[in-house]
Amino acid sequence: MNKETLWKLCCAAVILVAILTFTPVITPVGRYKPQLMGMPYTLWMGILQAIVLVGITYLGTLVHPGRKND
Amino acid sequence: MLQSLIIVGIIYIAALVFFTMSARTKEKSSKGFLMAGANIGAVLGFFTFAATLFSTFTLQGMPDFFRNHGVGAWIFLAISDAVMVFGIISIGYAFRKKAAGHEYYGMAGFMSYCYKWRVAGLVTFFGAFIFLVPYVAIQIRGVAIFLSGAFPDSIPLWAGAVGMVVVMLIYSEIGGLKAIIYSDMLQGILLLAVIWIIGINCLNYFGGIGPMFEEIQQKNEALLSVPGPNGLLDFQFLFGSMIAICLLPFTQPQVSTRLIIMKDTKSLYKLAVGLGFFAILIILPTLFMGMYGAAKYPDATTAEFLNRTFLEDQAPLIAAFVMIGLIAAAISTSDSQLFALGGEIRSLLSGDDKKMLGYARMAILFFAVITLAFALMSSDELVLLTRMSFAGTALMAPMIFTGIFYDRSGFLKIVPLATLIALLILVLSLFGIVPNTLAGVRMDLILLGLLALIAIVAVGIDKNRN
Repeated sequence: MNKETLWKLCCAAVILVAILTFTPVITPVGRYKPQLMGMPYTLWMGILQAIVLVGITYLGTLVHPGRKND
Repeated sequence: MLQSLIIVGIIYIAALVFFTMSARTKEKSSKGFLMAGANIGAVLGFFTFAATLFSTFTLQGMPDFFRNHGVGAWIFLAISDAVMVFGIISIGYAFRKKAAGHEYYGMAGFMSYCYKWRVAGLVTFFGAFIFLVPYVAIQIRGVAIFLSGAFPDSIPLWAGAVGMVVVMLIYSEIGGLKAIIYSDMLQGILLLAVIWIIGINCLNYFGGIGPMFEEIQQKNEALLSVPGPNGLLDFQFLFGSMIAICLLPFTQPQVSTRLIIMKDTKSLYKLAVGLGFFAILIILPTLFMGMYGAAKYPDATTAEFLNRTFLEDQAPLIAAFVMIGLIAAAISTSDSQLFALGGEIRSLLSGDDKKMLGYARMAILFFAVITLAFALMSSDELVLLTRMSFAGTALMAPMIFTGIFYDRSGFLKIVPLATLIALLILVLSLFGIVPNTLAGVRMDLILLGLLALIAIVAVGIDKNRN
């Protein structure tokens, strides 16, 4: 898979993960279970989501088209 | 505590003086003074970006926001920031590429260049001015209230506000953007240290994360999920906030400048990834503070909660560091914003560089005075006023993105004109002259959607025409 395709995959992944924010997958209204280490659902899913987004950003920097053009 | 504050304060001022003198150069060109030579590496760039972005809004506003609205506040800021950093590498690259063909001092001049129309620059300046001044003012006010609350007999509100503005004017006028960047590094480290010390103290009060949420569950279960006890963190609020925050690097001039001054694209990449981690690191302890407040001071006013959590419940030396940390947080963002407004003015001017830079420096002074006046009069709703600033400047995004991505934006005068109208409508809605919502949808979201549509249609028509 070339870098251009990987970059597009990163973009798609960020959009997908961002959209999930507004669904019950991340923000179920009025629900805080299942808990993880005592943390309510939206919080631990939100922390996980933030880490995933930063991870995708890092991967994005490795395959971004601008890397070769600088 | 006053003694500790004086000692820590002297150390802080001495560090600022040192950075200012280090940054002081004989070069007095606009590029040197306003853009720090546009040659900033990843580490300095990361600290100045972080210190500019995470302000009093984070240190004072977010704990109170978590206290009142619960864990959904994490989604409001941390997730929005995490999406934003991806935008820095994708759109930031295109922005830098386009700006490379232009002598960039500010977004206003850049828009004049992209649209080949001075009005586009004036609209950009208008939007930045209208929505940045309240943002700067509430930060200064927030810290001034805090100081006067802690020392009611020694530091009146106006004295705290004037003191901060004078300090930031002195070092930014002497050392330019380079002095601001160096001091941002100090202020960023201080902010992170202070926020974690208090955060850990708050967590220790409960004995851990599990016991913390057990107590919150007993006190106010609604804090554990969205939309929170007051119903604020609903889809529209979270979605609108994410859009506004993601657009920040391109719509708020103090942030855009920091994308442009990076040495190269690789430094920009490092900045983006570092910023993502920094956002998680700095927002997490504000959650602990907020939950501490929800458990211990649920009915206190914002000022009472902050005063007790940051000062009364801390050891005197820690409290002194907190105070300086708060001042540093307010100053590091406010100075960049005032300075950026000066840059915006410079970007609209042409002529002898030395003379134009002189005008820009006078403009910074003028903006500082206006901000100070506003700070003494504005409301105390830190987070909501900040969000209003984000939403207001976000309206310029369709115009800015069209300018960046579409080479024939010079033929699309409708886009800046529509942006001006939208900015005016939003201002009128904030004053209650125009409704805040239409059919249950927030006015800022409607306007942003309409502007995006106008930009897309205008580009489509222009493409067909050619």
